[in-house]
Amino acid sequence: MKKAFSLLVLCFFLPLGSILLLAQKQHQDWARIYAAELFHITEVMVTDVASPPVAARIYAYTNLAAYQVISQSGGKFLKGEIPTLSLGENQLKQSLPSPEFAAVYAMFLVGEKVMPSGYLLQEKQAAWEKWGLKNKLVSKKNLAEHLTFAKTVADQVLTLAKSDGYIQLTALNRYTPREGEGFWYPTPPAYMAAVEPEWRTVKPFFLKNLEEFDPKPMAPFDLNAGSSFAKQLDEVYQYGLKLNEEEKLIANFWDCNPFKVEFSGHMAIGVKKISPGGHWIGITGIAAQKQNLSFSETVYIHTLVGLTLHDAFISCWKAKYETNRIRPETVINEKLDPKWKPLLQTPPFPEYTSGHSVISTASAEILTSYFGDNFKFVDSSEVYFGLPEREFNSFNQAAAEAAISRLYGGIHFRDAIDNGVDQGRAIGKFIWSKIEKL
Amino acid sequence: MYTEFRFLSFLFICLGWVCVHPSPVKAQQIQAKFEKLSPKKTGVNFKNQLREDAQNNILRYEYFYNGGGVAVGDLNNDGLDDLFFTGNMTGNKLYRNLGNLKFEDITKSAGVAGKEVWTTGVSMADVNGDGLLDIYVCYSGKGAPETRKNELWINRGNFKFEEKAAEFGINDPSNSTQGLFFDFDQDGDLDLFLLNHHIQVINEMEFDVARGARHPYAGDKLYRNDQGKFTDISEQAGIKGSALGFGLAVISSDINQDGWPDLLVTNDYIEPDYLYLNNGDGTFSDQMTDHFQHISHFSMGADIADINNDGLADIFTLDMLPEDNERQKLLYGPENYEQYALMIKRGFHHQNMRNMLHLNQGESVFSEIGQLAGISNTDWSWSALFFDADNDGNKDLFVTNGYYRDYTNRDFLKYKGDYYFKQAVAKEKADTLHLVTSMTSTPVHDYFFQNTGNLQFQNTSITAGFGAKNFSSGAAYSDLDNDGDLDLVVSHLNETAGIFENKSQSGNWIQINLVGKPGNQFGIGSKVQAYTNGELSFLEQNPVRGFQSSGTHRLQLGLGKTSEVDSLIVIWPDQSRSKLEGVQANQQVTIEQSTSLSRPKSPKKASPLFTRVSAPDFTSTFSTVNDFKRQPLMLTMPSHIGPSMAQADLNGDGYPEVFIGGTKGTPARIYSFKDGSWEIFRGFRSSSDFTDALAIFEDFNGDGSLDLFVGSGGYHDYLASDESLRDRLYLNDGKGVLIAKSDFPSYTISTGTAVVLDANGDGFPDLFVGGKVIPGRYPETPESKLLINDGSGTFSDQSSTFLPNKGKFGMLTGAVKQDLNGDQTEDLILVGEFMAPTALINKNGSSFEDQSAQYFPKNLSGWWSSLLQADMDGDGDFDLIAGNFGLNSQLVANAEKSIQLYAADFDQNGSIDPILECYIGDDRYPYPSRDELLDQMVSMRSKFTDYATYSKAKMTDLFSKQELEKALLLEIQTLESMYFENTVNGFVPHTLPRLAQVSPVYSILATDINLDGNPDIVLGGNQNQTRIRIGKIDAGLGLVLLGNGKGEFSPLSPAESGLGIKGDIKSILQLETSAGKFLVFGINQQNPEVYKVQ
Repeated sequence: MKKAFSLLVLCFFLPLGSILLLAQKQHQDWARIYAAELFHITEVMVTDVASPPVAARIYAYTNLAAYQVISQSGGKFLKGEIPTLSLGENQLKQSLPSPEFAAVYAMFLVGEKVMPSGYLLQEKQAAWEKWGLKNKLVSKKNLAEHLTFAKTVADQVLTLAKSDGYIQLTALNRYTPREGEGFWYPTPPAYMAAVEPEWRTVKPFFLKNLEEFDPKPMAPFDLNAGSSFAKQLDEVYQYGLKLNEEEKLIANFWDCNPFKVEFSGHMAIGVKKISPGGHWIGITGIAAQKQNLSFSETVYIHTLVGLTLHDAFISCWKAKYETNRIRPETVINEKLDPKWKPLLQTPPFPEYTSGHSVISTASAEILTSYFGDNFKFVDSSEVYFGLPEREFNSFNQAAAEAAISRLYGGIHFRDAIDNGVDQGRAIGKFIWSKIEKL
Repeated sequence: MYTEFRFLSFLFICLGWVCVHPSPVKAQQIQAKFEKLSPKKTGVNFKNQLREDAQNNILRYEYFYNGGGVAVGDLNNDGLDDLFFTGNMTGNKLYRNLGNLKFEDITKSAGVAGKEVWTTGVSMADVNGDGLLDIYVCYSGKGAPETRKNELWINRGNFKFEEKAAEFGINDPSNSTQGLFFDFDQDGDLDLFLLNHHIQVINEMEFDVARGARHPYAGDKLYRNDQGKFTDISEQAGIKGSALGFGLAVISSDINQDGWPDLLVTNDYIEPDYLYLNNGDGTFSDQMTDHFQHISHFSMGADIADINNDGLADIFTLDMLPEDNERQKLLYGPENYEQYALMIKRGFHHQNMRNMLHLNQGESVFSEIGQLAGISNTDWSWSALFFDADNDGNKDLFVTNGYYRDYTNRDFLKYKGDYYFKQAVAKEKADTLHLVTSMTSTPVHDYFFQNTGNLQFQNTSITAGFGAKNFSSGAAYSDLDNDGDLDLVVSHLNETAGIFENKSQSGNWIQINLVGKPGNQFGIGSKVQAYTNGELSFLEQNPVRGFQSSGTHRLQLGLGKTSEVDSLIVIWPDQSRSKLEGVQANQQVTIEQSTSLSRPKSPKKASPLFTRVSAPDFTSTFSTVNDFKRQPLMLTMPSHIGPSMAQADLNGDGYPEVFIGGTKGTPARIYSFKDGSWEIFRGFRSSSDFTDALAIFEDFNGDGSLDLFVGSGGYHDYLASDESLRDRLYLNDGKGVLIAKSDFPSYTISTGTAVVLDANGDGFPDLFVGGKVIPGRYPETPESKLLINDGSGTFSDQSSTFLPNKGKFGMLTGAVKQDLNGDQTEDLILVGEFMAPTALINKNGSSFEDQSAQYFPKNLSGWWSSLLQADMDGDGDFDLIAGNFGLNSQLVANAEKSIQLYAADFDQNGSIDPILECYIGDDRYPYPSRDELLDQMVSMRSKFTDYATYSKAKMTDLFSKQELEKALLLEIQTLESMYFENTVNGFVPHTLPRLAQVSPVYSILATDINLDGNPDIVLGGNQNQTRIRIGKIDAGLGLVLLGNGKGEFSPLSPAESGLGIKGDIKSILQLETSAGKFLVFGINQQNPEVYKVQ
C-alpha cells in the first residue's frame, strides 16, 4: 500500500522509464546492487593490499553484518540459518521498513572498522544513505531507526571480530626460516616477509577442530631422481618452459595476487589485483545476479561463501606453516636452472597446500550445493584488472581450473594442488552439512 | 723519518704573483662562506636542461636524472682555470676564464659542443703528454653503441681542439660515466680507467650468471697507454666487467701507501664497490671486503682525502639517506632480514643506505665512522669534495644532491599501482608516463660541512651559502680568481650552473703547481706532505673526484694561522722526492720533478705492543636467532651477549684456567693455558641450553680452592620463567673438579651482571646478581637479586630484605662494589641500558639504599653496557670507566635532546609495545618506520593509512596523553663512553677520546700496557646484531688508551697497538703467566683472539 503510494507520487516527477527502472531495482535487482556495494569493500582491500587470508576475514565479517541485519529483523532464508558464533544476548528482534538498507549500511560500518583504510567507506555510506532516501527505501523519518539498527548489529559483529585472535597476531613471533633443505624462504623479486605465519590461531566459524581438515601428507623433500618430489619439481619446471597461450591465460586469470611488485631500478611499483577470496566473492555475485536472487538470499550466499573462505584460509594457512615447504622457484633456481622464472610472481608464504585450490574448491562446493551443479556463468571478476571474461559450465569447473592454474603459474607443486582440492572439498562439504542440518 | 733528507731540492717560486693576505685568523673562528654569482656577472649561463617526454623519461632510461659533469683546468696555461660543462641532452660548453670570475663562452670556436647523445662525465687530462690539458667526454644513453663513442678533444693550444679518440683507441662505445687518466704502471704516461654502467636492471635471479660474464658496454675497462695508443687490458689486469656494474664514481689514490696508485670504484644498487689495490705488476685485485666491513648500498659519488691529517687517505662514499624525519619516513620500507641474509650469502657484502666514511687507520685497517663524523645523511647525493675551504688546515666537505623525481617514496610503491585499477574502473586507458610525471619532485639544498677536527664535521650548509634548494650533480673546486681560496663550480639540473665564489675569512695557504716529467707533466699520482710544527697535511694529485667531474690541477694547502711551512715534500709517481723547507705562506709554488731525489729506503716500522698468538679452538655455533622476530621494535638483539670469560688456577698447577661462556647451542668450556698452548680442562661440563652472561671465580665455601658462579642470561626463545635462565654455582672439590650445587637459589632472571661482595659483613662472599632483560618483555625492568652466603657456599635469596624498589633497578649490564661512604661496608654501583648510574649504599650490612644523587651528577642516563673500576689517577680511590653505546649511529642524545623509550601494551593484545622516540634534527619523532609500527600494532594500521601521514607523525599522534603518561618511560641522555673520576664530591664524568666513541663498548680492561707505571685501558665492543636500518656498528678494533696517570687518555692506532680485531668483542681477559702477559678477547660467534703483550 505504502509502496504503491510512493510510486504514484513519483509519477509526477519522473518519466515512465525511470519508474520502471526504479521498480526493477527495488524488486529484482538486489543481487546486482548488493554485489556493487560489496565491491566498494573490495576496492578498499585492494588499496590496503589485504593479504589473501586477511581479505577472507574481511569478507566474512562484513557480509555477516548484512546477514545479521536480515536475520535479526525477522528475515527468512531458503536454506538453513548460518550458525554464527555467539553474538551475545542482545540480539535484536524487530522488523524494519527496509532491512536491505540497514544491511548494506551495517556491512559498511563493519568494513570501516576491520580495514585500515575503512574510512574510505564513509563516502560510500553517505552515498548509500542518499540513494536510500532518494529511492524511498528509507524516509527522513525512519532513517535514524535504520542507522541505529545497523549500528547495533555492526557492533555485535565487531565484538565478535575483536575476540577472534586477530589483534593478538602481532604479539606472536614472526616467521624465521627453518634451517635445512626444503623449507620455505622468501622469494624474488621483493622477498616479502611471510604473510600471517600464525593465522591458524584465528578463530574459524565452522571448523571447530582444524586437525580434521589437515591435508594429506605432502611428498617429502627429496631431490633424488624418481622421488615423488623430484618428479613434481620437474613437472613445474617443464610446464614453465613450454606453456601454451591457453595455459598462460588460465594462470593469469586466476593469479589474484594482491600485490605484484614490478621493479625498474630504484623504482618499484606494486601492481594490484583482488585476492583469491575476492574472485570467488565476485563469482558469487555473478551467480546471484544470474539467478535473480532476492536481497536476503543474495546476502545469505555471500555470507556463507565469505565465512567458508575465512575458515578455508585458516585451515590452509595452518598447513602452510606446519609444513613450511619451499616454493618451486627457489628449488629450481638453486638446483635446476638459475634463470627459470615462474609465469606468476610467487606469493610470499609457504607452498603447501595451494591456497587457491583449497578456497576455490570449498567455495565451489558451497555454490554448487546452493545453486546446483552445471550452473553456467560468465566470470567477469577480473575485468577491472585487465583480464578478459571467461565462461564456465559449473563452479566446480572454475575451481578445478583455479587449482591447476597454480601449476601453470609455476608457483605450486602438483600435490599441493590435488591435496588442496581435497582439503577444500572436505571443508565445503562440512560447512554445507552444518547448514543443512539446521 | 724525514730527517734523512739532507738535500734541499731546487725551489722555484712562481713569480709575479704573491698575495698579501690580511692578518692570520684563528682556526676556530674561521667559517667557510660562499656566494653564488649571477650568470650575468660571470657569463656562465650553461643549463643542463632535460626534456621529459614519451621517448625520454625515467622509465625508458634508468639514469635520466643523474645530471651532468664539470671539468676545470687551465687549458691555455695562463694561470687561470677554464670551465667545461657536459649537458645530458644539451650541447657541452667550454668557458674561458678571463680572470676576476668572468668567463667567455668559446664552445663554438673551440668546436667542443660534442654529439647529440646522452652525455655524462668529463675529465681534463694531458692525455698525449704535451703539457696541455685535453678533454675526454663520456657518453651513454639508450642509443646504438656507435652513437655513444666517447670523445677525446686533443688540445692544440689557443683553445683549438681536435677530436682524436679513435686515433688514441679510446673511442669506446660503452655506457660510460667517467674516464680517469692515471699512470697505473708507472711507466711515465697516463693510462685510462673507463668507468661504465649498465642501462638495464638485472633480474635478481640472474645475478650469478651476470657476474661470471664480461659485459661489453656495462663493464669497467682499463686501457694501457702504449706510446699514444691505448690497449684494453681489463681482463688481464683483473678489472671486473660484469653487467651488474653500475659505476658512478672512480677515484685514484695510494690507499695502502705502497707507492702504487689504487682505485676506488663505487657501484649503484646491489653490486658492491670495488677497492682495486694495484699489485704493481700491471694488475689490480679487488680487496674491498678485506678493507671495509660494510659499505654504502646505492653508492654514488665519492672522494678520497686525508680528513684527519694523519697522512692516510680516507675514503668517503655517498648514498641516499635523507637528514630529516619526513623524508626518512617516506623512504623506509619494511626491514627484510631474509633478503639481507641472501645478499650476504651471495657475496654482495654488508651494504647500508647511507654515506660511509672509511677512516684509514693504517695497515689496511679501516673504521667506518660516517655517523660519528656527522656526514652520513645528505639525501640523494652525487658529488663529494673534501677541500680546505677556509684554509684552516682541515679539509671541509661539500656534497651536491637531489633527484628530480621522488620515486623511492614508499607511497608510490604501495599506492600508485592503484592508478591502473582506478583507470580500469573508470573505464579509461592507463598511461604509464602519467605515473612518472605525477611523481613528486623535491629539490634539496647542497651540503657543506665544516671540518672542526677531532673527526667531527659541522653542518653549516645554510650559513656557508648553500641554502638554495635545487638539483645538483657534478661539481669541482678551483681557485678561479687566484685569490688564494678555492671556489666551486656546480652543475645543476634544469637550472643555470652555479659559480660559487669563496668569501670565507680565510687562513693562510700555499698553492702548489707540480711539474712532472714529460708524459705526465701535471704529476698525476703525486703526493704532497707538508709539515708545520710537527703537524702534517697530506694531498694527492688526483683531479678526478666527486661525480662525473675533474678538478683543478693546482694543489691547495690550508695553513690556518701558520705563516710558514717547515717542510714541503713531494713524492712523485716514480717515488722520487722533492723537498722544500721554510716555505712562506700565501703564495703559489711550482715544484719540478726534474729536481727530485731518488726514492729513499723505507723507514723501519716500530713494532706494535701486541702480537697475536694461538687461541683456544672455541667458536660458538653460528647463531641465526633473530630477536626482532619476537620483539620487532628493539634496536639490538639481547640474545648475542657471549662469550663471557673468567680465569683462575683451578687445580693449583700454576697454569691459568680460562672459562669461556657458552651460548644457546654451544656449551661453556674451560681451557688450561700451558706454555702458549690451550688444552680443554676436564673438570667442568655445562649444558648447551644456557647463555652464559658472566662467570666469577671465587672461593665461596672457604675451602681454599676457587669455585665458579655462572650467571645465565640471553633472550633467544627463553620464557620468562625458563629453567635455562637459572644461575649456577659450581663448587671446586679441591682437585679442580667443578660440581654443580643443586640447592643454589632457583630464581629465573636473564642475568646481565653480578658482583661478589660481603653484603652483611659476616666475612663470607655474597652475591649481587643484576637482571638484564625479561625475554619477550623488553624493556620491562627485570628483578635483581641479593644472595647471602652462609659461609659453606649455600646461598639464600634475601633480595626482599636487602634490596630497595623490589630489586628493580633497570636493565643492568655492569656492577662493581666499593665503599663509597667510608663506613667500612661494601656499597654497589650499577649501570645498565636506559638508566643512570646508580649507587646503592649499604646500611650497616642490613639493607641497601639508593643514594645515586649523592654520588653522580644529573643527566647521565645512558645505554650503559659495561663498567670497570680502577685507580686511574693514582689518588688511591677507585675511578670508573663505563662503556656506552657510542656516537657512531643515527641516534643522538644529550641532556636537552634525550632519547625516550615508552613501553606499554598500548593495544592490549598481550605484548609490550616499546616505542622509541628520539631527536631527528630539532624535534622528537617516533623512531620506528611505518611498517615496523604497523607490524607491532594493528590499531596503527587505520591511524596511518599511508607513509605521508606517518612521515609527519609525532608521538602524540600515535598515542593519547593519558596512554603516554601510563606507559613505562625510560630515557637516554648520553651515548658517550666515559671516565668517572672519583672525587670527594662524588664521581665527575669525563668523556673518553673520540676514537673510543666509534662503537658500543662491552668490555673494559685496565692494566699497564706500556709499563710506564700508569694504568692504561683496553676497550672492546662493536654491535653487529642490530636492526638492518641501524646497520653493523663495527668501527671498533680493540682500542688501547694510554693513561698518563692523571685520568687523561690517548688512543693508539692499530699500527701502534697491533690490535685490529674485527667483530663484537664481549669480554677481555688478562693472563699473567710465567711466559708473560697475555690478553684474550672473547668475540661473539668467532674464535677468541689472544695477544701477547710485548
